[in-house]
Amino acid sequence: MPQLGESIAEATVIRLDIAVGDEVRADQEVIEVETNKAVMGVTTLCIGKVSEIRAVEGVSYSVGSLLGTLEVTQEEVERTGVDTLESLEAKNQSQPQDDGKGEEENLHFALDGDSYEEDPSIIPSVKGLPVPTGVMGAHYISPRMRARMNDMGLREADISAVVGTGAGGRVTVEDLERFLDYLEAWPSAPASPMRLAVADAMRRSWTRPLATVGLPVLLDRVLDHRRKQSPKPGLTLYLLRAFALALKEQPMTAGYLIGERVVHPRSFDIGVAVQVEDGVVVPTLRDVDHKSLSELVADYDDLVDRARRRRLTDQDSSGGIATVTNFGTFGLTFGTPIPLPNETLILGIGAGKKKPVWSEQTETFLPATEAEMMLTFDHRVVDGGGAGLLLKLVAALLQEPEGL
Amino acid sequence: MSVTYIDAIREAQEKLLREDERVFLYGQDIANFGGAFKATKGLAEEFPNRVFDCPISEDAMIGLAVGAAIEGMRPIIEMQFADFSSIAFNQIVNQAATHYYRTGMPIPITVRLPSGGTPGSGPFHSQSMEGIYAQYPGLVVVTPATVSDAYHMLIDSVKMDDPVLYCEHKFLYRWLKSKSINGDHLPIGQARIARPGKHASVVTYSAMVHEAVRAADRLQADGWEIEVVDLRSVKPLDLDTVLASVARTGRLLAVGEAFPWGGVTAEVVARVTEEGFHLLDAPPQRLNARDTPVPYHPKLWAAHRPTPESICDALRKLLLF
Repeated sequence: MPQLGESIAEATVIRLDIAVGDEVRADQEVIEVETNKAVMGVTTLCIGKVSEIRAVEGVSYSVGSLLGTLEVTQEEVERTGVDTLESLEAKNQSQPQDDGKGEEENLHFALDGDSYEEDPSIIPSVKGLPVPTGVMGAHYISPRMRARMNDMGLREADISAVVGTGAGGRVTVEDLERFLDYLEAWPSAPASPMRLAVADAMRRSWTRPLATVGLPVLLDRVLDHRRKQSPKPGLTLYLLRAFALALKEQPMTAGYLIGERVVHPRSFDIGVAVQVEDGVVVPTLRDVDHKSLSELVADYDDLVDRARRRRLTDQDSSGGIATVTNFGTFGLTFGTPIPLPNETLILGIGAGKKKPVWSEQTETFLPATEAEMMLTFDHRVVDGGGAGLLLKLVAALLQEPEGL
Repeated sequence: MSVTYIDAIREAQEKLLREDERVFLYGQDIANFGGAFKATKGLAEEFPNRVFDCPISEDAMIGLAVGAAIEGMRPIIEMQFADFSSIAFNQIVNQAATHYYRTGMPIPITVRLPSGGTPGSGPFHSQSMEGIYAQYPGLVVVTPATVSDAYHMLIDSVKMDDPVLYCEHKFLYRWLKSKSINGDHLPIGQARIARPGKHASVVTYSAMVHEAVRAADRLQADGWEIEVVDLRSVKPLDLDTVLASVARTGRLLAVGEAFPWGGVTAEVVARVTEEGFHLLDAPPQRLNARDTPVPYHPKLWAAHRPTPESICDALRKLLLF
C-alpha cells in the first residue's frame, strides 16, 4: 500500500483489476482503493507478471502493507529500484545502529532472539503518527489540554474548529496554539460581558437534546381585542398570558429534569426575551396565571423598559419556568429558539402575515393574520405529542382574548 | 585506557581512605580477597588496619557501623549482595535511620548495595532494594547509572551526615565503561536529563537508564523523540526535574528494575499525578520487573525485567493514547 497522501495511514481495497498470471505494465492501475479523502488507483511500480495477490476487496490495509507480488526480471529490478521480497526482509531485520557518539558504552545483552515479542497491534505501520482514520478533532480532552484551555478561558465549543493531529486525531496543545496563531492575522476585539453571558447560557443549554415544533396561529382576534384596550398590551404579553394558562393545565411539560428527578413549577412565572445591545436579557413576569392581561400590562411594560435600559436586577431575571420570545419584531417568520439552560421550554412567535384563509361559513377565502408559533423543548422531559398539545392550547386561548 | 563502573567505585573508596582518616571499609571478604566483585581490590594492603573482613552477619556489620559512626567514624559497609541487606534491616531502618531524630546525633554511614540482576543470578542475588529503603525517613538512597556518578556519588555519600544506601548496579560493573571520570558532577538529590526529547518522558534510574536510552534510539527511527530522565538518587527525589520534563512532553513512563508493587516508579507516578496532573496528555504509566521472584534462567530473566523491547512497547502504547 503506497503512501497516498499526507496524514493517510490506511486505505480500503474496493476493486482488484488483476488476477494471478496477468502481465502488467509499469504505472498500470491495478487496484482501486478508498481513503477517508478520495478513491484512488494503486499503480504497479514496474513491468512484470502477477505471482500473488494478498489484498482482499473490502479490507483496509495500512500504508506499507504488502498487497501482492510481481514476478519481475533482474534488469527491471535494477532499472526501477523496486523492493524485492529479499530486500524487504533485510530491511525489516535491520535495527537502527548505535552512533557510538556517547562517551559511555553499554555492552550488555547479547541475548539475540529474546523470547519477548512486541504486540503487533501497536507497531506503527508508517513513520510518524499511526492515526486511525475518521476520528479527527476534539473528543477526549487530556488534563494537559484542559489546563491549557482553562488558562486561556476556552471551552470545548471553542476548539471545535481545530483539526487534531495528536494520537487518535486528538487536538493537542500544539494544534490549539497553531490555530490561535492563525487567528492572530484576523481582526478581533474583546467580547462584551453581555455577549459572554449569552454565549455561556446558550453553550450550557445546548448540552441537552433540544427539539422544536411549530403551529400556525390566527392573530386577528388578538389584534382586534388589543385595539380596544388602554393601555394596549403588547402582542407578546398576550402570548405570555396564554402560555402561562396552558402550562397551568399541562404543568408536566414545564418540568425540569435533574438526575433522576423532575422538578415541577412552583409558580407560573414566565420570562420574556428582550433584545438589548449585543445580547438578550430575559426578565421574569410573576404569577402570570393569576393576573389578567390588564393587571399585567404595567408590570410587563416596566420590566421591558428596564431591560432595554439595562436596569434589571438579578431578582428580575430569576425563577422563571419558561420563556417567550417574539422574533416577529425583527420581521422573522420562523425560528428555532433555544431555552435558557435552567428551563425546559421556550415559545417563539414569528411576524404575522395577511393570508387568505378558507371560511366554512362564507365558503370563500377571507383575509386573516397568521403567524408561526415555535416551541423548543428539552426532549428528555417533553415529547412531540406533549409539545403539540401545549401549542394547540396556546393557539386556542389566543382565539378568545377576552378570557386572557 | 577506560574506567569501568566498578573501577570508579574502587577509586572513590581509595580517595576517601586517603583523604579522610575517619573512613574505613567493613564487609565480608573485602580485605585480602578484595571483595566478591573486587571493588576493594588492593585497598587492604594500601591502607593497613582500615579495611576489615567481618563475620557472616549483616546484622553485626551495620550494628558495628552505627556504633563507629556514633564515635565519629565514617564507615563504608559492603553488602555482598543487596539481597542480603534484609538480614541487617533492623539495624538500618530502626537504628541508623532513626538515630538522628531520637538523639540529635547523625549516623554518617554508607552501605554499598550491589543491586539488580545479571544473567543467571537467580532470586537471591538479583534484587533491587531501593524502593524498600526509600520508604523510611532518615535514609538517603542513591542509584548511580554512570561511571562518573558511581565515583562522585560514593564520595558525596560518605561526606553526607545521613545514612546512605548506595545502590550500585552489578550489571554495570564491568559492562559500563568511560574514557575518564568527569570533573564536574551534580549533587545528590538532583536528576539529570540523560537524553532530551519532546514526545514522552521516561523517568528511570540505575541500569534502566541505559535500557531506556536504547529504547529511545529505536523509537527515533519512527520519528519519536523520547526524553530520558536519570533520577540519580531516588531519595531525595528530584520532582522538579521530572515535572519540567513532563511539562515538555505531556507523557510519563516510569521504569524500574524492582518488583512492581509500590516502589520508586509508583512514587514517581503518584507525585506527578498529584502535582502535575495539568501537564499530562495521557495516563502516566509504569514498567517494572514482573511480580515474581527473579528467575534464574537468562531467557526467563530477560523476560522478567524491563528491556529496550518492552520499554518501546510501553512507550508506543503511551504515545498512541
